[in-house]
Amino acid sequence: MRNRKRTALKTLVFLIVIGALLWTLIPLAWIFLSSFKYEADQFSVPPRWFPGRLTLQNYAKFFGNAEFVRSFLNSIMVTLLSTLIALGLGVPAAYSLARFNWKHSNSIAFVILLARMTPPIVMVLPFFMIARYTNLSNTVIPIVIALSFFSVPFAVWMMRGFFQEIPVSIEEAALIDGCTRFQALRKIILPLVLPGISATSILCALISWNEFLFSLVLTGKDTRTLPVLVNMFVSERNIEWGVMSAAAIVIVLPMVIFGMIVQNDLVRGLTMGSNK
Amino acid sequence: MESKIRRKGYPYILPALLFIIFVFFVPVAYTVVMSFLRWNLLRPDLGVRSAGFSNYVRLFTDVFTLETIGRTFYFVIGSVLVELVAGFIVALALDTEFKGWKIVQSILLTPFMIAPVVVGFVWRFILNSDYGPVIHFFKQIGLGAFVADPLLSNPHAVIPVLILTDAWEYTPFVVLVLLAGLKAIPQEPFEAAIVDGASLWKRFRYITLPLLKPSILVVIVIRTLTSLRVFDIVFIMTGGGPGTSSETLAFYGYRTAFQSYNIGFSSAINMLTFGIAIGFTLFYMKIVGGGKNAE
Repeated sequence: MRNRKRTALKTLVFLIVIGALLWTLIPLAWIFLSSFKYEADQFSVPPRWFPGRLTLQNYAKFFGNAEFVRSFLNSIMVTLLSTLIALGLGVPAAYSLARFNWKHSNSIAFVILLARMTPPIVMVLPFFMIARYTNLSNTVIPIVIALSFFSVPFAVWMMRGFFQEIPVSIEEAALIDGCTRFQALRKIILPLVLPGISATSILCALISWNEFLFSLVLTGKDTRTLPVLVNMFVSERNIEWGVMSAAAIVIVLPMVIFGMIVQNDLVRGLTMGSNK
Repeated sequence: MESKIRRKGYPYILPALLFIIFVFFVPVAYTVVMSFLRWNLLRPDLGVRSAGFSNYVRLFTDVFTLETIGRTFYFVIGSVLVELVAGFIVALALDTEFKGWKIVQSILLTPFMIAPVVVGFVWRFILNSDYGPVIHFFKQIGLGAFVADPLLSNPHAVIPVLILTDAWEYTPFVVLVLLAGLKAIPQEPFEAAIVDGASLWKRFRYITLPLLKPSILVVIVIRTLTSLRVFDIVFIMTGGGPGTSSETLAFYGYRTAFQSYNIGFSSAINMLTFGIAIGFTLFYMKIVGGGKNAE
């Protein structure tokens, strides 16, 4: 009786896992295979998973199109810049929140959290108007500021957890040995939180790389990022499914790889410090 | 001594704080001001005039707006529910003696790393009634009647389809958080319960569920907040259509500003979205803070 129940339970678990894997992977597999199909095979009715011949022409088209390459480079640039800003501002702030206990630290934490939780749509219209008044519309400055705005709070909350894990005694020992607090931070604490910093920077990059609404409104012809470009091509009447599938793979692949590396730190970052 | 330490902390946090305050409060204040203005970018001849509370009055009296609010709640509640139930089931399955949970978790996590724009494209492609595999599959198994109309141009199907798309992207997040919560539950109460002869269901109901409550609340609040801002997949998959039958608050705010150029009314819509977000953030602070006291 007991054994039979156990087997039933095991089978159920197995079925759930298989179901979840299929649900996750089938759409991805379709896009992946489509990115290697000839144009003619994209339109076969009924649709075929494996058309029997494969091609790299979709990728060649993607990288042969100056507009695609430019937005690819734009995406890389704004992602790097905003991640650097997020770390530059966020890491010291997180250190401060983790180490110093002052009166208003709770209100500061609330402001930072609220900034993270605010729906982007609330900010996008004033951002657009300000960019228009200041004549920055054709530069990457507005979008980099906007993307940094999303990742700074994120970096603060995530790094705060990493700093909290380091015992205060290590720092105190350094201070007693005659280090200044800044020296202690730079020479002793920072190396210890380096894994945390790399995880945080990958997640900040993920936010910027995938962002769409602000990029749509704040970027122009020369500053377009990849998600905006994908949108432009998908809203056309005749979608080039193959090339777009290749574009999708190009956007997705780096982030999936990076994301896998830091998945253990994902929970902490995504729940804003509630899970330890 | 204490005040000295306090003062020493400020230089570290000041740049970030100034940046957030400047980049956050200036636009929000701007939105508040604009929400009291009658301002249409297409009619510069009318200029910018005070609107009093008329934008807000319209917000809560206009039938179309009320419909949009209702539709947004439909989407938010639907997606959070689907993701919570599905995520819970998968998390429980992965928390058994199942050996490969780590690998399965990494694979299941993939959609979460994917840009929402791409998620929208992927789903639009596989649901395409001519070239997509899903509709074809339904026809093959004899359920073609359900998908005779293209799903994304059927006003009744479009929100459920968006909910499923959203669930594809964000259920992994729910799994991740709940699984972390499950793995953190100590084994002792279960062992005691087994000795006492408690059934599987009773162990779940009286041990797992109460101990997992903080994680569940976190998931609900965060998912509600992110679901409220849904924009990308709507934009890519339906453009708010057919007609306006998949317009949510965020999309409505966008369209009012960037297609109708009605700056004042769009700001009022966005203030409503903002208000809802503030409410949930306060609630979140309360539960996260509560967790800290328990430590």
